Amino acid sequence: MSSKSNVPDTTLWDKNRNKIYSKKGGWLIGKGVYSHGYDMMNDFVGKVSYMQVMILNATGKMPERRLAEWFEAAHICLSWPDPRIWCNHIGALGGTVKTSAVAATIAGILANDSRSYGAKPILEGMRFIQHAMKISKQGLSVEEIVEAECAKHGGKPYIMGYARPIAKGDERVPAMERVASHLEFSRGEHLKLSFEIEDYILEKFSEGININGYVAAFLSDQGFSPEDVYRTCSVVVNSGVTACYADARDRPADAFLPLRCDDISYQGKARRELKTFM
Amino acid sequence: MSTNKHQQVKKRDEEFSQNITTKIWEETPDIKNPYIAGSSRCHGYELTELVEKCSYIEMFYLLFRGELPNKPEALLLEKLMVFLINPGPRHPATRAAMNAGVGKTDPEHILPIGLTILGGAHLGAGEIEAAMRFLRKHSRRPATQVADDLLKNSSRPDEGDWHIVPGFGSRYGSVDLMPNEMANTLASLDDDWKVLKWGCEFSRSLAAHQMGWLSTGLAAAVFADLGFQPRFGAGLFQLLNAPGLLAHGMEQANKPITAMPFVKDEDYVIEE
Repeated sequence: MSSKSNVPDTTLWDKNRNKIYSKKGGWLIGKGVYSHGYDMMNDFVGKVSYMQVMILNATGKMPERRLAEWFEAAHICLSWPDPRIWCNHIGALGGTVKTSAVAATIAGILANDSRSYGAKPILEGMRFIQHAMKISKQGLSVEEIVEAECAKHGGKPYIMGYARPIAKGDERVPAMERVASHLEFSRGEHLKLSFEIEDYILEKFSEGININGYVAAFLSDQGFSPEDVYRTCSVVVNSGVTACYADARDRPADAFLPLRCDDISYQGKARRELKTFM
Repeated sequence: MSTNKHQQVKKRDEEFSQNITTKIWEETPDIKNPYIAGSSRCHGYELTELVEKCSYIEMFYLLFRGELPNKPEALLLEKLMVFLINPGPRHPATRAAMNAGVGKTDPEHILPIGLTILGGAHLGAGEIEAAMRFLRKHSRRPATQVADDLLKNSSRPDEGDWHIVPGFGSRYGSVDLMPNEMANTLASLDDDWKVLKWGCEFSRSLAAHQMGWLSTGLAAAVFADLGFQPRFGAGLFQLLNAPGLLAHGMEQANKPITAMPFVKDEDYVIEE
């Protein structure tokens, strides 16, 4: 359409009206169920892992089984049954008011669309390490990469993939390194760079790499884009949320961290009289 | 793969608050049972008194802004609430709610399902904060100049609608008539709503390019004129659209599953 034409061009919407185009697959009733060209009942069931299918559906690429096993291990690392963790807390609150398992779990999963934890920071973590690799290849040193990143945050070591709230250090990183080693993955250039960055910031700021940084670097070496990983990890906190829901759901209602009125500290306006409207 | 040497895991000495704090709501415990509220106040006003003397609009404004609105503020908010009460049966968020309804999803999930889809960055809550920030930043400059600069420095996408900035653009290739008409109506209310008026001028500057106000832009402008912070915009937009989502979802809930279209096999195209 010419930008000043008075006749709107609705071709795009007319083409899609009452019609679905899919690059993914679907159920051809009476013929079979297809995903990315595979016949799901014959090619998948009993032959590939659920995680392989999840990655395929999220990214359009069928990963080798050991990579899916690595992903599965990462999912274990990223969700534990501790209701003090924010998304799990939501699951427990759902349990204590007797919502359904689906609702409480989904509410907790939704919470992991967060700037602080869960799946979303992986986008930034991957963008960081992929950009760091690019500028490293252009000749910047690890020190210069870190300083440039810190400069964006007033000199503070806010680098996505490094440091974490509550604790210093991250037990999940060595655990995942053991998994990678067991599955015979070699250390790629992104992971090497991420550890060089860790060495530098450990010395300078006493902070280390976290699971996000490790996952971001490892999967960058495997050729994943940030969006690929975000989509694959969209329900990464699932199991911990459900666990915390179940624990609270199986106890009496309102028994999860009940609050007395005076447990809330009111800091607002003092009691005042309502004048007639304004 | 070899392993790297990492630091030992140690707890940080972060100080977490001992209590939840709020400036919004105060509950005074009953003498006999500290878990039961004997009275409640919103920003200092007794809830019982608010129930007696306030409209829902006034209460809504008080809850978020901390003060009761004056008459023009209450009127503007009410008009927007009426306009936004239903995104309509073609909006994907409403259709999500209807799908849940006809699919016999538990009724308590129908509204959250619709609201979640309404969180999208295209004609949804995900667009409001950015639209409010755009309006707050640019509404000090002449609207025509801002529009000219934007048109000069950006280009129409190859296909689909062009949202030249969040909250303004085309809808199915055209100016979206209803929000444009409503914006003019709201801007002509007695008070001097600066952002709204600026938006109307900005929208007129885009009209030759088949663009103008979108419902998200209109909501953003009203929220900005009423003094809401941009980060509140998404949730406010969801709240205001919620009744329509629920109404349409529940309308389908008692119908058979065949009451909504199921695309025929011949119209389901698996692309290579």
